[in-house]
Amino acid sequence: MTYNELTRRYFENTPCAGVLSGPGSYRGAAGSRDQGTWVQFDVQLDSNAGVTIVQKVRFLAYACPHVIAVSAWVAERAVGLEITDQLPESVQCLRERFAIPVEKLGRLLIVEDAWIAAVRAARAATAGLPPRLG
Amino acid sequence: MKTPSPCVYLDYAATTPVDPFVAARMAECLGRDGVFGNPGSTSHEYGEAASERVEAARTQVAATVGAEPAEVIWTSGATEANNLAIFGIAHYYRAAGRHIVTVRTEHRAVLDPCRELERRGWRVTYLVPDRGGVLDPAQVAAALRPDTVLLSIMHVNNEIGVIQDIAAMAAICAQSGNARLHVDAAQSVGKCEVNFGALGVDLLSLSAHKAYGPKGVGALVVSRRRGVQLEPLHYGGGQERALRSGTVATHQVVGMGAAFALAKAAPRQESERIALLQDRLWHGLASLGGVLRNGDGARSVPHLLNVSFEGVEGESLLAAIRPHIAVSTGSACMSIHQEPSYVLRALGRDDRLAESSLRFSLGRFSNEADVDTAVAAVSHAVERLRRIGGA
Repeated sequence: MTYNELTRRYFENTPCAGVLSGPGSYRGAAGSRDQGTWVQFDVQLDSNAGVTIVQKVRFLAYACPHVIAVSAWVAERAVGLEITDQLPESVQCLRERFAIPVEKLGRLLIVEDAWIAAVRAARAATAGLPPRLG
Repeated sequence: MKTPSPCVYLDYAATTPVDPFVAARMAECLGRDGVFGNPGSTSHEYGEAASERVEAARTQVAATVGAEPAEVIWTSGATEANNLAIFGIAHYYRAAGRHIVTVRTEHRAVLDPCRELERRGWRVTYLVPDRGGVLDPAQVAAALRPDTVLLSIMHVNNEIGVIQDIAAMAAICAQSGNARLHVDAAQSVGKCEVNFGALGVDLLSLSAHKAYGPKGVGALVVSRRRGVQLEPLHYGGGQERALRSGTVATHQVVGMGAAFALAKAAPRQESERIALLQDRLWHGLASLGGVLRNGDGARSVPHLLNVSFEGVEGESLLAAIRPHIAVSTGSACMSIHQEPSYVLRALGRDDRLAESSLRFSLGRFSNEADVDTAVAAVSHAVERLRRIGGA
């Protein structure tokens, strides 16, 4: 398996790897270790002037280098953006950016599902509603 | 042209560098001033000289594995030797029976010919070894039938290094009457003793490049004493007792002969040195925790260590260590489709552990610094990936 330079860089450095805890931290996960791919995002939000901004993101991933790299990139890029259940870039764009074989598309959808789960957990908590998992 | 980046090579079970002495002997058979003649053209001195070199090499190979020179048939490698043995026996003895017994943990160079014979109407029984990779001779005895014409078992497993009790299998075959015993010994030479005659084996597959010889050459040893007959795979000039037609590649077989002679002459201390290195490697890796050894260590060659790492995804593990060490993984990477090793699956490992396995194979040029580099690289990668994976 070969990886492009971006994948190698984010896989080797893994910025934003880890977890967040405490009030204001929200968690979502998708996939399973038994199936070979599992991703978790923790998000911390900052609500000011009616706009909710992603303040901090951490991720964990039991996955191939492509999924680890994409998760790290998403965690890094999402900071400062308004909270949304869309990734900072579409799955298709991420696949092209990281030169990921089409056969691994399903793994990228697990990244997206984990992100959506985290966002929904945050929204549910901030709206006083029970969390909905993605 | 890509040359590999300098990193620690611990994949000697995949292939070995050609020993400089071997390369020098091969070079003598290539140029205009060398022994370049066709060994089959004995009508002139060029051919005679080449033939002498080929026969000397045959004697060297035979002496290394306890066979008679006339029993050695040159092939392009162990894969061809395995094919010649399996198809050759199956077709020659097809009137006596169409049943073959082999083991699930064999190399694909044995399993694929067996599957092809199944497609052509033969029946094949695939035995399953115990969790340590060891086959109980009683399993073989129970599997043999009156119509069994071949039992094919490898001597040293290429993934886990386990040595099978070939002498016991041979005794069972001898009692059965019909079944011939073929042994794939591609991984054996230079790692443990191989005595074709004493083991009572009918056919033995050998490879040069696993023992510091060149790629592209091997041999099938066919017992004359036991009167084994084969049908050839292809036809032509009738070389190699008409079992392997085609001009013999003088430089290749000379290289194999020289490599095997070196292996035979290797001091006993070399095996002890490798065993100490393997011990150092195993203890270094095991200190990580969650590290499982694959295969029965007490029944294995010292050159090979196969381990699985809990809580680590296989592709990421390989990608993380690749800049530092060259090893094989428990996944057969065919394009992007990673398939867990069928050998480790046969031993009862689940897919995740099979995928997160690494095969370290030590060799003549391995040293303590190599082992320490490997332990450091793998430890760093495993700890990092476990942390990222939330394990």
